[in-house]
Amino acid sequence: MVSVIEHHQHILDFTISSLLRRKGKNGALLLVYTLIVFILASLLFFTNALKREATLVLNEAPEIIVQRTLTGRYQTIPIAWGERIRKINGVMSVRPRLWGYQYDSVFQANYTLTVPAENPPESGSIDIGSGISRMRSAFPGDIIAFVGHDGLSRSFTIRNILDSESQLLTSDLILLSEDDYRDFAGIPLDQATDLTLRVRNPGEYITIAEKIVQMYPETRPILRSEIQRTYDAVFGWRSGLVMVIFSAAALAFFIFAWDKATGLSAEERREIGILKAVGWETSDIMMMKFWEGAVVSLTAFLAGTILAYIHVFFTSSALFAPVLKGWSTLYPAFRLTPFIDFAQVATLFFLIVVPYSVTTIIPSWRAATIDPDAVMR
Amino acid sequence: MISVRNISKIFNAGQPGEFTALQRITLNLQMHETTVLKGPSGSGKTTLLGLVGCMARPTTGRILLNGREITSLPERFLTDIRRSTFGFIFQQLNLIKGVSALENVMIPAYSTGEKFSLLRRRALEKLDMFDLGKRVDAKVECLSGGEAQRVAIARALINNPAIIIADEPTAHLDSKLSHEFIGIMKVLKAGGSTIILASHDPIVYDSDLADRVVEMRDGQIVSEEHCP
Ligand SMILES: Nc1ncnc2c1ncn2[C@@H]1O[C@H](COP(=O)(O)OP(=O)(O)OP(=O)(O)O)[C@@H](O)[C@H]1O
Ligand SMILES: [Mg+2]
Repeated sequence: MVSVIEHHQHILDFTISSLLRRKGKNGALLLVYTLIVFILASLLFFTNALKREATLVLNEAPEIIVQRTLTGRYQTIPIAWGERIRKINGVMSVRPRLWGYQYDSVFQANYTLTVPAENPPESGSIDIGSGISRMRSAFPGDIIAFVGHDGLSRSFTIRNILDSESQLLTSDLILLSEDDYRDFAGIPLDQATDLTLRVRNPGEYITIAEKIVQMYPETRPILRSEIQRTYDAVFGWRSGLVMVIFSAAALAFFIFAWDKATGLSAEERREIGILKAVGWETSDIMMMKFWEGAVVSLTAFLAGTILAYIHVFFTSSALFAPVLKGWSTLYPAFRLTPFIDFAQVATLFFLIVVPYSVTTIIPSWRAATIDPDAVMR
Repeated sequence: MISVRNISKIFNAGQPGEFTALQRITLNLQMHETTVLKGPSGSGKTTLLGLVGCMARPTTGRILLNGREITSLPERFLTDIRRSTFGFIFQQLNLIKGVSALENVMIPAYSTGEKFSLLRRRALEKLDMFDLGKRVDAKVECLSGGEAQRVAIARALINNPAIIIADEPTAHLDSKLSHEFIGIMKVLKAGGSTIILASHDPIVYDSDLADRVVEMRDGQIVSEEHCP
């Protein structure tokens, strides 16, 4: 038993020194391989983290949102409508919401302003998302100014920096009191941005939505399932793009592995001949080639995965965020919350390390059947 | 005793390039003796060494090693015998480039699964024997011709083989190094090794190293003389 381990160790040692002496070739190999793993792993981490953010968004979304439209365009809704809507059977509660977007031309960023249902800041103070805090170097206790709907600037004291599981949700967020928001956005006291409904029985969503439209034909009720569909569509499109990149990288990997599998340089053949001639078994040579593949692919896998992790969660996917994200223009960009699905990392491992290690054995199988006396000529 | 019985080797049998390299050779080599195969280029010396050293199989005939028939053994057993019984010194040296002298010497023993520390010590001893103690970590391509040859000899000896096979060992050496090589072989012979050399270099076959000189031509033995 000991000698079996010793045997493997000798061959692994030799494999490593044999890899090291062809630094250029193997370095290039490792680089290409690491790059491919990096791209695949980045995509994997990125889409996973985005999906998770989206799930968080949906979990917080109300069952039904009622908006008002005028000639097909969004409008504020009278709060009084909510009183009548609450009387519909099955509606547990109605809450008028106040929120909206604000473009900051100085910093070229979009903010989302919201009046929270619970624990709103006092008039004159606000909570801001970490993205805004970073961008404007503003911290609790500081006074910060924003330009409102009338072009006049308003100052607020920062109460808190929002810290949440989901950076995507809170990075560009400003929480403020109802009075301040009405003043800031110019929404009259009897109006709200939209109404949110709590409904206990999902079977009633559609009937309730129909009743609301009958009652107020200008309204547009949005069901959570519809929001879900929108997200799915967005993600469907995004993951389509991801699939394109993913398959390109996978293709590159297979071409690369195939090239490696079929090509065995004259020098390598000669060396295999020498090893056989001095008493290595065919199985030793296969073991060596296997270790060679395993060492290269494991190193590339680890390096590529770690780099991808840093890329996605610490540099905000700098390389492909512009293509994939697009809904937050807040700079510096938000950071996705580190999140790894180990099942997917394991899949990546089996798709990358295992086939590669195996393909490196194929050519040596052929070479190992070469007569050892070839080296005598 | 190595007993070669009526062996022939035909390359590319039945094909256009068919070539008979050895024709019904019979030869008995005693253990602890040194045999030199001489003869012109193409006479079949290398081919015969390859067959004796379990590198290849004869087309017909049998070879017995200490009474054991080796010609019909499966590949794995041949490899085993090759590793444990024979030490090869190739004409082209066949050292592995880019790897240190020490590692080159240890390579034939890797398959045995011997403990690394023991193996290393043994390899260092062999290198010391040839005054290569200071060159153990040098890459083989940095060695001089004589040093490289001594590393190749050390490698052939790492598994303490009973039989040493050397093919044209002096082909790339000047006279001084050739004499040095003969000197090393004499030491090994005195230590009890069986040595088989193929050479058409007079320094080798005229030296007092040889107990027996076998002359070959066109794949056949033309003369066999015992040296006193
Ligand atoms: N694999 C092979 N296929 C075909 N012919 C071969 C093969 N190996 C050797 N030969 C031929 O067999 C003959 C004997 O070759 P061998 O190498 O044994 O001669 P040698 O006595 O060692 O010659 P040299 O002194 O040049 O080394 C040569 O004519 C050679 O061309
Ligand atoms: Mg020859």
